[in-house]
This record gives sequence, C-alpha cells and structure tokens, in this order.
Amino acid sequence: MTELQSRQLQFSGSGGEYFRIWIVNVCLSIVTLGVYSAWAKVRRNQYFYRHTTLAGAGFDYHGEPMAILKGRIVAFLLFACYTLVGKFDQVAGLAILLVIVSVMPWLLMRSLRFRMHNTSYRGLRFAFHGSTGAAYFNFLLLPVLSALTLGLLWPLAQQRMARYTRENSTYGNEFFKFFATSGAYYRIYLMTIFIGVLVFAGLMASVMLLGSKELIPVEAGQLVAMSVLVAAIGTYLALFLLAYPYVAARLQNLVWNTTQLGPHGFHAQVRAREMLGIMFGNVLLIVLTLGLYKPFADIRLARYRIEHVALLPRGSIDEFVAGLQTNTSAAGEELAEMFDFDIAL
Amino acid sequence: MLLTAVYYDGRQARPHPVTLCVEGDKLLLQGRDIVRREDLNRLKIPPPLGSTPRLILFADGGRCEVADRQGFAEMLQDAGNSAVAGLENSWWYALAALLLTLSLLAAAYLVGLPYAARVMADRVPVYLLERMDTQFFASLDQTLLIPSALPAQRRQSIQDGLQRLALPPGGGRPERIEFRGSPTLGANAFALPGGSVLVLDDLVNLASSDEEILAVLAHEMGHIREKHALRHMLQASVVGLVMAWYIGDVSSLLAVAPTVLLETRYSRDFERRADAFAAELLGANGIPVSRLADILQKLEDAHQTAATKQPIESVEVMDYLSSHPNTEERIKRLRGL
Repeated sequence: MTELQSRQLQFSGSGGEYFRIWIVNVCLSIVTLGVYSAWAKVRRNQYFYRHTTLAGAGFDYHGEPMAILKGRIVAFLLFACYTLVGKFDQVAGLAILLVIVSVMPWLLMRSLRFRMHNTSYRGLRFAFHGSTGAAYFNFLLLPVLSALTLGLLWPLAQQRMARYTRENSTYGNEFFKFFATSGAYYRIYLMTIFIGVLVFAGLMASVMLLGSKELIPVEAGQLVAMSVLVAAIGTYLALFLLAYPYVAARLQNLVWNTTQLGPHGFHAQVRAREMLGIMFGNVLLIVLTLGLYKPFADIRLARYRIEHVALLPRGSIDEFVAGLQTNTSAAGEELAEMFDFDIAL
Repeated sequence: MLLTAVYYDGRQARPHPVTLCVEGDKLLLQGRDIVRREDLNRLKIPPPLGSTPRLILFADGGRCEVADRQGFAEMLQDAGNSAVAGLENSWWYALAALLLTLSLLAAAYLVGLPYAARVMADRVPVYLLERMDTQFFASLDQTLLIPSALPAQRRQSIQDGLQRLALPPGGGRPERIEFRGSPTLGANAFALPGGSVLVLDDLVNLASSDEEILAVLAHEMGHIREKHALRHMLQASVVGLVMAWYIGDVSSLLAVAPTVLLETRYSRDFERRADAFAAELLGANGIPVSRLADILQKLEDAHQTAATKQPIESVEVMDYLSSHPNTEERIKRLRGL
C-alpha cells in the first residue's frame, strides 16, 4: 500500500455567521421556555459538523430534535431535583446524586452511541458498540480505584477510557484501533510533575539568591521559609494555569497519533502554548463583552482543534462501506452534558 | 438548468460527481455510472444553514451535497426553506433577536424569577423548612458558632419582650429564637429560611436597651413574614444555575462573581421591605422607629472599627455588607419615618 499525502481537517465556519445563528437560537429558546433549545442544538451541531471538511467532503449531524428534547426534559428534571432537594435535605440530595452517579456509566455509553450514530461523513454513519459492563468498568470502577489510590491509577484509567471509546467506534463497518499504552499517559503526567518541580526549584533558588544579596527585604532567619512559600505559590499558579492546557493538548495529540481507522492513521499537533493563548483570549473577551463573544470564541477554539488534526490515508478512502444501523435515544447525552461529565473524542 | 453536485449512495464512501436538474415534479440525478429519478416530495431537503453546502437526502440513505447555494435556491425555489433559516441570515434579525433576548432576560430576572420564587416558597412543606434550619444549626455549631455566653435571664427577657409584641395579621412570629456566640460573625442577627431567628451575643451586648434588640427582631420578623431567606435561596439557586450553565464551559470560578452581583439586588429589596415592616410593627407597639436606626448605626460603627483593627478579617465586613447593603441609606430612610 502506498502512503498518500496527509489530509488536514478543514474548518470553514466564521464567527459573524455563527453569531447570527447563535443569537436567533438563544432568542427562540428563551421565547419557547427552552423547548426550542433542542432544535437549536441540532442547528449548532450541524453548523460545526458541516463546516468541518476532510478531503473535500463535509461531516453532518443527524440528531432528532424530539429525541434531544425528551433527553433534555429527563436531564433537567433530575438536575433540578438534585439541586433543589439538596438545598432542603442534604441526605436526600446525596441519595439522588448517588443514583445519578451509579447510572452515569450507562448514560455515557448511551451518549456515545447517540453521538456517533448521528454523525456521518460521505453518507456513511459512525457508530458505537461498547457494552454496558465495560462502561461500568471503565467509567466507574477505574475512576473510583484511581481516587482510592490518590490518583496513581488515573493515567491508566484515562488510557482505558480512551481505548474503550475508540476501539468500540466504527465508521461504516470499519473499527477504529487504538495503540496508546498506559505508559504514554504516565509519561505525560510525569512530565507535568517534572516541570512543576523545575518551576519550584527555580523559584526557590532565585528567591534565596535575591534574599542573600539583600535585593529583597527578608529577615535572615526567614529566608528559607520565604523562598519555599514563594515557590509553592508560584508553582501552584503555574500548574493551575498551565497544566490543564498542557495535559489536554498532549493527550489530544497522543490519542489521535495512536488511533487508526482500518489502514489509515491520524496525526494531531495541537500546541499547549497556542491552546492556552486561545483559551485565555476567549475568557477575557467573553467577560469584556458580557458574554456576546461566546459564539466567536466557540468558532475560534473549534477551528484550532479541528485544523490541527490530519488523516494519513494509506490507500483510497473511497472504499469504506456502510455498517448496520441502530436506533438510539438522547437521554444519555443530555444528562452527561448537564452534569459536565463530557468525554472529549 | 443543470447543477453540479457530489452524490454519495449511503452504502459506500465513494463520491460521485453528478448533475442535477428538475423535470416537472421529479429530480433527475445523472453521473458517469449512476442515474436516479426521484419524486421531489419524497426527498428531504434540510433548510439552508449559513454558508454550509445545501443537501438533498434520499429515503434510502443517499445524499447529495451542493456547494452552489445560489443555483440550488434558484432550481429548487423554496424547497426546505424555513423561517428560522431566514432569521439567521440577516444582521437586522440578529440585532432584533439580541435586543429581544436582553429584554426577556431582564424581565425574567426582575419579574419572573421573584414571582416564581414567591409561589414556590409558599408551597415548600413546613417539615422541610424546619429540617433546613436544624441542618443549618447542626453544620454551623461545629464551625462558626459557639454556645451563647448570655445569662439565661437576659435571653428570657428578650423572649418575653418578643412575646408581648402585638403583630399585625399575616404572621411573622419566629418559630424559635436561638442565641449563639460567634467570634467571626460579630454582632449580627439572621432570619433563617425555616422561620427561626439566630441572634448573636455581640448584638445583644452592643444594644443599649431591649427596645433596640426588639427593633432588630422586628426587622428579622419582616424577613420571616415574607419568607425572604427561602425566596432568596431559591432565586440565588436559579441565577447560579443559569450562570454556571452559560459560563460553565469557560470556567466555573468565573460564574461566581456575576452571580454574587446579581443576588445583591434581591437582598437590597428584601432589606427595604423588612425595614418597612419593622417600622410599622414598632410603631404599632409604641416603640420609636429610631431604635432600629440607632442599633443599625452601632452595628455599622462596630463593623467598621473591627475592619480597621483587623484588616485581615475584613471578610466578615464584606459578608455583613453583602447581606445588609447600603446601611447608611437605610438609616437615613428609617430616621425619615
């Protein structure tokens, strides 16, 4: 098989165009007391999917607004129940939360099914075939275990979750394959910790140096304590601000670079620094414009993330054929979104 | 006329370059190795969406993508046109939608939410409210509150004074009064959602007469009568939820600041109404309204000296100011009555 040139994903959406769609949808959602929000979600997804193109063809979203509306009603009732009951009675609130957590893996599995099933490219659907048992193992047991081990198992859990979502996904009748080892995940986190240690040591050394030359006013006996304090705060801030985009960017690259679809590979080169710049700029502008910049921010982030992924085709990509179709409900996806429990694909 | 398009048959990912034309009520699709003739009314034509390609969906999963939106609109006139797509395409409608959205949000915040909270507050079962207050004390007795150091006699005389107050019809008498000390909260009194009143030792010590304490209690009864604490809690939950949902995917921390700002307005309204009720109640019981103004002034002074003495603990002052905003203004209004 010959290696063809890589095909970059393209994104052609524009902020101005999306702003109009967004504001009309927000307005209609409010006028209809939220009912229209299901239709708005379909419009929004279709806008982003159809503007995402690969090798000249666009993606598409096929979610049914009625299915999404039903899911939203269930999710809204559960969420309202949880927040309101939690205010009046903490025990009952906790019980509801426990119920929600215990069905969450199942809901996430349904959510993946709904989302994949309703995504198409070149007229062929994606699909998700993961089992309920594996969902409980990957989305509940592993995170609980990693919490019990104070996060030591978290990279492993993340690798298993990514493997579960990838290896059970299909495009047409072709399965995705996933090759990342948990070692690669551990390396990313170790690197983050290593950088943290470097920052800490650097800050501590410079405070000691400045203090000993009396460039900053510190009492002699407190120099060590002072330098530890400054280094601790500085490291905390640096990790708080930088670690998330760094890890997110590295993970996205790792996941795509170790994913295959049939014979075809992928390549991602998201840079943490650029990601951070976009996220900071977005938050700043959203605050300054009292929220009106939101649609522009969404477009900007989507463009960056999409355009840094490429397909490495080995052979023709015309040969995919359709797989079996299944019907799915939207309740899982809506609830997962409500509880901010989304998994990035 | 002919329109060029790309056709996918829904069974394979292979693109077929085709031409489209309309013959009567049928769509004719022709490519190198494919010909389809379909009834127009059996095709699904999604409404236009921004500058994305126009689509024709066949019942069997086949699909046509047409980049030439202009030509598509001319050939298949209003096929798939929807009112929403029209709205989305014009900056004028976008502006109108923006203005309508802002005014609806303002109306919901200023009128709808307070109304809904009032209706809901009246429907919360009494046993739930009592349990809330019990939980409140259970959690705060371990952290912010310590047992009251006031002599039992002093507490009883305040309770008796309260019992003697004649209330206008409509309720408002506290379920119970709890005395506690609190090194961090200082001089203060709180009306809780379930109808209990929490009086802190420093407040009792600060007052120069029982009448001043009764004046504060009258103010708290104004809160209880109209279920202010409960309504405030309900409103704040909704505002918090909406904020978290909107800003949520940016940062949940950022959602807190605007929420606090928005909630302050509600508490100001509630303070005003509680003051008005207290003035009425005190007047009816022959207690000068100025007693409330006096004790408010003392509280304000006490908190200000506390702030200058211990700048680190200015948190308590902030807390006090946010739950009782514009004390100066309130004192002025009470003196004017």
